[in-house]
Formats: sequence, C-alpha cells, structure tokens
Amino acid sequence: MTVLVTGGSKCGKSHFAESLFNDLEGEKIYIATMQPYGEEAFAAIERHRKMRSGKGFETIEKYTDIGSVDVPEGCGVLLECMGNLCANEMFCGEEMTCPADKIIDGIKQLKSRTKLLVIVTNEVGSDGISYAEGTAEYIREMGEINRRTAELSDLVVECVYGIPVR
Amino acid sequence: MIMITGGAFSGKKAYAKTRFGFSDGDIMNGENCSFDAVFSAKCIADYQLIVKRLLEEKADVQTFTERLCKENPNAVVIINEIGAGIIPLEKSDRIRREETGRAGCLIARNSSEVIRLVCGIPTIIKGENKA
Repeated sequence: MTVLVTGGSKCGKSHFAESLFNDLEGEKIYIATMQPYGEEAFAAIERHRKMRSGKGFETIEKYTDIGSVDVPEGCGVLLECMGNLCANEMFCGEEMTCPADKIIDGIKQLKSRTKLLVIVTNEVGSDGISYAEGTAEYIREMGEINRRTAELSDLVVECVYGIPVR
Repeated sequence: MIMITGGAFSGKKAYAKTRFGFSDGDIMNGENCSFDAVFSAKCIADYQLIVKRLLEEKADVQTFTERLCKENPNAVVIINEIGAGIIPLEKSDRIRREETGRAGCLIARNSSEVIRLVCGIPTIIKGENKA
C-alpha cells in the first residue's frame, strides 16, 4: 500500500504518517531527506527523532537519489519529506534541474519493494505570493510531483491543523 | 470549543455569523482585541494575528492557547491556514508560522467540531457530522 500525506507546515503530517506504521509487522525504515545544515534544521531533526523514538524505525539519511536506497523486500518505508528531497535534487548540483521524473522513478522503485510506503510531502503553492524564477520553478515541480505521486498512491490524506482529511 | 479554519477570505467569519447568529460585537478581532478578551469572548477571529502579537510581546503562545482552551471552552475560534506556502525568508516569520501551526493543532484537538472553508463552502473535518 502506498499513502501520500500532504498539508501545510506544522499541521501534524509526521504524527499521522508515523501512526500508519503502528500495526505493521517487520522492518520499518525512515528515509530522512533533510540535510542537517544550520541550527533550525538541527532543531527540526531533533524534534522528529524524539517523536519517532521507540517506534522501531531504522533511519537512513538520503538527500537525493531515493531510488538507490537498498531497502529489504517487504519492509515498510516512511519517506520524509518531498519538499526537502525536491529542493536537494533541484539546487544541490551545479545547475538547477527539474527532478520530477527522477523522483517519481525513485518512488516507483521503493513502491515495488515495500509492503507499506508512506510519503510525506508539503503544500507549497497556496501563499499567493509571486516568487522569482527558481522558487517559482520549485513550486511547479512540487505540484507536478504531488500530482503524480497521488496517482501512484492508494490513499491520499491532507492534514489540517492535526486533522487527517481523506 | 469549535474551530473554523481555511485560507484568507474563504468565508470563515460569514459562516460563523450565519451558523451561530453572532453579531459583530460578539466577535473579537485578533488584530487588535485585548489579550484578556480572548478568555471570555464568544468568538475570536484571526487567531493567527493573536499568535503574531503574542510573539511580538515575547509571550508563550502555546501556554496562552492552552489557557484559552481551558478557560473558554465554549468559544468559536477562527484561525487562518497559513502554512501551505514557501518557507519564509525571515526567521521571525518562520517561527510565527510554526507557532501558528502548533496553536492550531492544540485548538483543533480541544474542539468538538472543526470546520474548514474553501471558496465559502464549509466542510466539517472533525465532529459528529464529519463529511
């Protein structure tokens, strides 16, 4: 089963996504895509680590190329989050790229090997602000990735202030 | 407690007035009402602006919000959704966005019903009549 969890920032997406693994038997892998740069990233990573502790996840940090993560057949994978993964793929190389195809391929590969794949993404296109090229392209790529991931998913859930809306 | 959310200008206040029969005087405006008024108001609008003002006063938003839930459990709280965009450049805006999210989760948890407005259309996302 593949589940896409979306929503704005700090709306309880992670909490809900983790809860989907409560009854899952077998190995649980957490693919963390956030790069630990800067004080705020550290704080966010620490907060998420605490929230996950005791829930039986093995954490793999992978900032790009998620398709190459060697996950065992039949495990559960929580991928968090698409916003960081997309930004890493787009802006970490020498030139900006459009990573939607690559990311969707990666998701397909993870999906083919997992019993449960939960992907946490972000809604980034609803603040009504016109951004410069680069950021605008990022919003467009995120929109495309979210639409295509939703098509591959069995369930799409949007979190609104902690409430999962199916 | 009842929570009404949605984007800016999505029809939240109009919904509150129609459904609960509030007059303008029943609705405290988060932009300029006194902080104390929040603990007794029938309806508090723009709670995201209360959060903003509390941060400017260096007050603890979560403690304040817990007190609201405890002391005014029959309130109708209107709060915009503000997190569905690009991470703000200013650190103070990032903190405000995060604190608003947490305060909203707290209010939602304490609410028997949560309604979300999209283009003026209400959807009950928590409560007995959940869609």
